[in-house]
Amino acid sequence: MSLYDIRGLEKTYRTGEVQTHALRGVDLSVAAGEFTAVAGPSGSGKSTLLHLMGVLDTPSAGEVMLDGRRIDTLDRRSAARMRLDNLGFVFQAYNLIPVLTALENAAFVLELRGLGRRDREARAMRALGDLGMAALAARRPNQLSGGQQQRVAVARALAAEPKIILADEPTANLDGDTGHALIELMRHLNREHGVTFVFSTHDPRLLDSVDRIVRLEDGRVTGEETRPAA
Amino acid sequence: MLALAWRNLWRQRRRSLTALGAVALVVAFSVVYYGIGGAAGNSMYSQLTGSSGQVQVHAAGYRDTRDFSAGLIRDAGGVRATIAAHARGGQVVGVLDVPALLIHGDRSRALALDGRDWPAPVRRDYLQGNRLEGRFLTADDGESVVLGRSLARALDVGIGDQVQVYAPGTEGFGAASFTVSGLLDVADPAAQARTALVSLSAAQALAAPDAVTRFEIHYPDIKRVVDDGVSTRVAGALTPLLPRLQVETWRQVSPGLVKLLHAFGPMLAVITLIFYVLAGLLVVNTIYLGLIERVREFGVLVSLGMTGRRLMGLITLESVLLCATGAAAGALVGTGAVAWLGRGFTIPGFQQYIASFGMDPMFYPSVGTGQVAQAVAFALATGVLAALWPASLAARLQPAEAMRFAA
Repeated sequence: MSLYDIRGLEKTYRTGEVQTHALRGVDLSVAAGEFTAVAGPSGSGKSTLLHLMGVLDTPSAGEVMLDGRRIDTLDRRSAARMRLDNLGFVFQAYNLIPVLTALENAAFVLELRGLGRRDREARAMRALGDLGMAALAARRPNQLSGGQQQRVAVARALAAEPKIILADEPTANLDGDTGHALIELMRHLNREHGVTFVFSTHDPRLLDSVDRIVRLEDGRVTGEETRPAA
Repeated sequence: MLALAWRNLWRQRRRSLTALGAVALVVAFSVVYYGIGGAAGNSMYSQLTGSSGQVQVHAAGYRDTRDFSAGLIRDAGGVRATIAAHARGGQVVGVLDVPALLIHGDRSRALALDGRDWPAPVRRDYLQGNRLEGRFLTADDGESVVLGRSLARALDVGIGDQVQVYAPGTEGFGAASFTVSGLLDVADPAAQARTALVSLSAAQALAAPDAVTRFEIHYPDIKRVVDDGVSTRVAGALTPLLPRLQVETWRQVSPGLVKLLHAFGPMLAVITLIFYVLAGLLVVNTIYLGLIERVREFGVLVSLGMTGRRLMGLITLESVLLCATGAAAGALVGTGAVAWLGRGFTIPGFQQYIASFGMDPMFYPSVGTGQVAQAVAFALATGVLAALWPASLAARLQPAEAMRFAA
């Protein structure tokens, strides 16, 4: 059974008289445990698709089902609850909270869920450990490199044990080697913990280790490729 | 969340410190302002109780009688002993007001001759506020009178001159001759023209042996209204012991002053409210600028699952923490300043002017815990109100839109 079922998804942005069609009828399914890349050039609609999958925005048409529940029509409060309980996010610009340490950042979603300090810090520390960041847990974001910050961001998503982690261009701000290492790490977590990952990228070099590639161009799915497990 | 709010506050240290300083300044100012307002009240209290005591004992129905004899307390010695036994360290002063005519040569003035005891602490207190030239009255001084300087001028007498006193319709000798031993520059200029002091024994010999018009209980060391808890307790203890007399605290003797003291609070609150609005605008500015700079971050928080309400709570908490820190600092500085000024101060050159309003020229600022709490509560309310608008803006952010925002 699919974790995600997306049917006829459209998104149009309006700026004054100008209309921009970011997505034009996207159909997509994602199975639990998949490691999927959404690939395409800049402006192809990758970020918009991930935003709609993450209930961060509302579509102009179509529907998004997560685990059998329609999520594109949720009100603000329910959408926030949905994200908190089911989704993890990794952003291109890391988006860590600058005044919190790596450990506090990793534990932040758990704090929002109301977990006690000891429990959330233990889980956050475990996630940081999985990403090789345990030794830097006390550092603030401005004391970490870009690659380290992005690993903390992945740990933040991972610590909450979501159904799926959506990563929007997670390597775009990293150099080639660091970006590749991050994707390998995510792949390892996918295999070890069974976490479903969907990430977007425009870098073809990062597609070697994915299960499936969804190619997006001009707001349309132009192709899908399933790769045999490496 | 508290740690996050507190750390967020110091991201723009200078801006936060400016807003915090403004809040601290307003709270400190409010506390000092309350203290000065309290000083004005204390000054009136001090002037009133310095001249007429904190507790008074009168003949029953004294307000309604115009007859001199009907207004007297007989067996003054016995009543004094009862009062002294329950005065809790207060100075008991017997007073006999004698309606009299003072004559010198072809000049005369009708007034109430003030015959009274002058226990040392009461005399010292009285002479601190009223400058004396010559000699003051001594105990059982039967021959001396101290006059207000204006009265002496009106009668054309000086120190060492004789004045004749007639007290018709009274119960004593009804006439006496006194030597002017001293002249008083009474702080209240209007009172100078009607001040004529003699000893209680002299007044009793003249008008009413072994009787007084009233007893006053003075507590010369109590200068502030907030410190005066004793008058109510003493009056309460004396009332059943003196069933045929009327025991009153200064509050009952001067209800007008009490009303004025009660009016101080609302007047001060209105004025300080204006300052809080100004400080509040500065806090709004701080919180709003912080909001503009952190739109993307708020978008991230909402993306991670924070609800709009919780985000509002975070922003409001930051504002309240800012104001609470400022309020704590301001309250500390303000109460310290009031405590320092509370030892008493005068405004040089304005003593007579102040006295003309019936106030003691020596000011004793005081501030109650309730007033400090009010100032702090005002600051916290400012924090909440200042955050409402920016916080509600943040709560309505669409996460995807917010993360695209560039400040």
